[in-house]
Amino acid sequence: MPSSTHSDQPLAIDVRGIRRVYNVKPKPVVALDGVDLQVAPGEFFGLLGPNGAGKTTLIKILTTLLLPSEGSARIFGFDVEHQTKQIRRIMNMVAGGEQSGYGILTLREQLWMFSQFYGLPSRDGWNRVDELIAAVGMQDQAQQRVSTLSTGQRQRMNFARGLLNDPWIFFLDEPTLGLDVAAARAVRELVVAWKAAVPGRTVLLTTHYMQEADELCDRIAIVDHGRILALGTPDELKKRVQQESVFRLELDRLDGGVGALRKLPGVVNAALAAGDQADGKGERQTVEVNLSLVDDAALGGVVGALGGLGAHILALRKSEPSLEDVFVELVGRGFGDETDDGDRKDRDDVGPSGDEANVIDSTDEARERESEVVA
Amino acid sequence: MTAEGFVPDTARLASPEWGGFDPSRTEGRGWIDIRRSFATAVRLGWQMEANWTDPLLFFIYSVAKPLASALILVVMLDVISGGARPDYRAFVVVGSALWSFVQSGVSGLAWMILDDRERYRMLKYVYVSPSDFLAVVFGRGVARIAVGAMGAAITIGVGVAVLGVPFDVARIDWPLFVAVMVLGVAAILAIGLLLAAICMQTRQESWSYPEAVAGALFLVSGVVFPLGVLPIPVQAIGLVTPLTWWIEGVRHSLFAGGVSSVSGPGTLFTQLSGGSGPDPLTIVLALLATGAVATLAAVAVFRASDRRAKDRGLLDQTTGS
Amino acid sequence: MTAPGRNAFVYRPTASPQAAATWTPRQIAMTNLRTVVGRAYPRVRGMLREKSWVFFEILLPFLATSAFVFVYRALQAPPQYIGFVVLGGAMTAFWLNVIWMMAQQLWWEKSQGNLELYFAAPMHIMAVLFGMAFGGFIMSSTRAAAVLVIATLVYGVSFAIDQWALLLLVFFLTLAALYGLGMMLASLFLMWGREAWHLTQLLIEPVYFVSGLNFPVARLGALGSVAISILPLAVGLDAMRQLAFADAAYPVGTPSPAIEAGILVVMVVAFIGLSRWTLAVLERRARQEGRLSVRWQ
Repeated sequence: MPSSTHSDQPLAIDVRGIRRVYNVKPKPVVALDGVDLQVAPGEFFGLLGPNGAGKTTLIKILTTLLLPSEGSARIFGFDVEHQTKQIRRIMNMVAGGEQSGYGILTLREQLWMFSQFYGLPSRDGWNRVDELIAAVGMQDQAQQRVSTLSTGQRQRMNFARGLLNDPWIFFLDEPTLGLDVAAARAVRELVVAWKAAVPGRTVLLTTHYMQEADELCDRIAIVDHGRILALGTPDELKKRVQQESVFRLELDRLDGGVGALRKLPGVVNAALAAGDQADGKGERQTVEVNLSLVDDAALGGVVGALGGLGAHILALRKSEPSLEDVFVELVGRGFGDETDDGDRKDRDDVGPSGDEANVIDSTDEARERESEVVA
Repeated sequence: MTAEGFVPDTARLASPEWGGFDPSRTEGRGWIDIRRSFATAVRLGWQMEANWTDPLLFFIYSVAKPLASALILVVMLDVISGGARPDYRAFVVVGSALWSFVQSGVSGLAWMILDDRERYRMLKYVYVSPSDFLAVVFGRGVARIAVGAMGAAITIGVGVAVLGVPFDVARIDWPLFVAVMVLGVAAILAIGLLLAAICMQTRQESWSYPEAVAGALFLVSGVVFPLGVLPIPVQAIGLVTPLTWWIEGVRHSLFAGGVSSVSGPGTLFTQLSGGSGPDPLTIVLALLATGAVATLAAVAVFRASDRRAKDRGLLDQTTGS
Repeated sequence: MTAPGRNAFVYRPTASPQAAATWTPRQIAMTNLRTVVGRAYPRVRGMLREKSWVFFEILLPFLATSAFVFVYRALQAPPQYIGFVVLGGAMTAFWLNVIWMMAQQLWWEKSQGNLELYFAAPMHIMAVLFGMAFGGFIMSSTRAAAVLVIATLVYGVSFAIDQWALLLLVFFLTLAALYGLGMMLASLFLMWGREAWHLTQLLIEPVYFVSGLNFPVARLGALGSVAISILPLAVGLDAMRQLAFADAAYPVGTPSPAIEAGILVVMVVAFIGLSRWTLAVLERRARQEGRLSVRWQ
């Protein structure tokens, strides 16, 4: 986590102790519960969490649409509460499923209208609109009424709108929601290309698509119930779930059994793969072993030792955890499972989250469970 | 959230008792379904119309519009005649009150189309549901009509109590009143349907169209002045408008002996009928005939509009500007 | 998507976010000016694209105005009263425009999902409201002019104008005050949902009545005086009637046109100032309560 940037430039996003409570009936809803977050200029930062986790609330606060109940937030040094005009000049946002605009206008006219809101001279506005329409590949729809665009086309139009003012920071709230695979990929490529065009451009992406976050983000915060449960690069987060290097080996034979492997230096654990309980005998011609090592370097010693045991490696595959594994370990459920109030209460009873202690507890538990499987 | 260990009994869920496919459901249940759709739409319409505020403000809101409309005319009358025409005052108060009911009726259905398409974006879902679309459209309009009826009744009450409109319960012609109310409400709904059909084609800013149409019909329906002051061709248009006969019928049944909007010196009706004013039977028959024509026209236009909307994908468009 | 050229992604290079966030007063002014044009654009386009409004916004309102002309004819009223109705009928176009296309508009924008984009953009929201007013003004001016010209010709209204300059001044001041009031209502309705919709309904006929839509407002006595002091339609119509029918006997009891012009100036300043203030206050409140993007209220 960057505490400061390489120069004196302020952080792109600096969130301190943000809490947001919605006073709705029958009881207030805590959407954000003490969030701290720092994003450096130039980062592609992801907020990963299920529906209702507080991602959109945080984006609304950062885009000056909502005030925090407690805490403070700054965008490139500008306070979201009091320096809204400055922030609005350097940011833009796109949300998934966005239906904004005026159906009576054509795509080109709609974008031009928004260009005027950002102060582009009229002629420049039309030129800029044409450039962006080309960039999002919608030349054929330029004169088509907005009300007749498909979901994917609308979202591309929204991206063109979001880029009209050359934002320094781009907020993307579930931008690929409802898009097909090709359209989602096109959108992702567009964002990556836009960001790469100028150093220092920053993106905050909220999503619940693990692969999207994994592919795009330099760092990711996993949020749930208004708290940050874990934060780090995708690799760091995965390591929290699985600290050892795990390999699956397929051998032609293993005369000494897995016990022989456990004695080797650097081996944390070794077990026959599930469903392969014949222990090298019986009808099966091969043996599959799950091997847990202290790190990747220990693999060389194991391979050498296997030769000594008379075994030949037929296949070797490294087991990588996914972000979904990370999420399930941290949150205790998948994205498809919504919680009810009872779950919320249980979680609230855990105490203040978003701190290292909880993360470590969760990952320790995860490791224990992993070990059980391996053993 | 899926309960741990829960294994859905798919065979059971697929049975008709549990909501599974039942071939007989595709046939529908005729009037039962229509009645249910209508009742649900009425309930929803009433909630949307009435639950936005406390009852007192709602009451003021419901009465202020028709009362203000009537007062505009009362002052116009008094400015010129200085209160010397009490019969004409009764004429304009009653006409104005009834017209507020017409306005609610004709705008209710059109606004349902615009509301559900542009604001709630529910029109397409209503359309594809098994509910009868027209039953839902009419049901949603009922709340506005009820509010309009309340406003009209209170305005007439204020007219009787404060503005000197002569009223005698014993002289009410009940059979005529019931007949013209039934036929008149049907005619108002037909015009409302016509406007709903038009608003299905137009853009979001057409909120004021129903009132504009009502404003134009106001000219030819003998609402606040007798048709005799209009040129003969315009009077002819008035005589084929069901609203003219509805208002004449209500006036005739509730305020017998008052000024007639249809007959009198210089009127086309008097020329055609040879001098006498319209009797109750003539009023009912004229209302029935003109109302039937309006209804047929409304149904035809609605069908054409419905077809065009499907053809051009207008049911789920948003058209703001 | 096609591979974009560098221009698509780099339009106005700035040295840093801080530099990009610092705007000159000229930049701010030009952005707000362009916003006015930008927001007026869909209104004008809409008019040109869907022409049904010509029928509904010109022909039918003319017929509605005609109905009141015939009321006076039935009463054998003096001819200037026909002129009063025609002038009132023309001016209603602006009031209806303020009600339908301004007062409720921010609430509508919220329903459509546009409002949060407005607030997330760097222009002043007042510029958006001015744009709506300007776009709507074009349509309502057309309607007002059509009703005025057609009704004058058809019903033989004769105007007697001695002070053209003052009449034009009063007309434009009335418009400015009307749209200023519309902006204030729009900012108030930022916080409301369906209440806004229903309350604007409440502002049509009752306002017509107390503004003396079809009769001199002086006839309402104290109520008319109150209306003149708070409603632009009442004071503007009264002043214009005095100026447009200078030869006719006009009921006494209201201030002279010059004084009424002064009242309108105060209204313009007050309404625009108040709308600016209420917008600032209510934007903050809406941000506190999370109402800038709540739909379907």
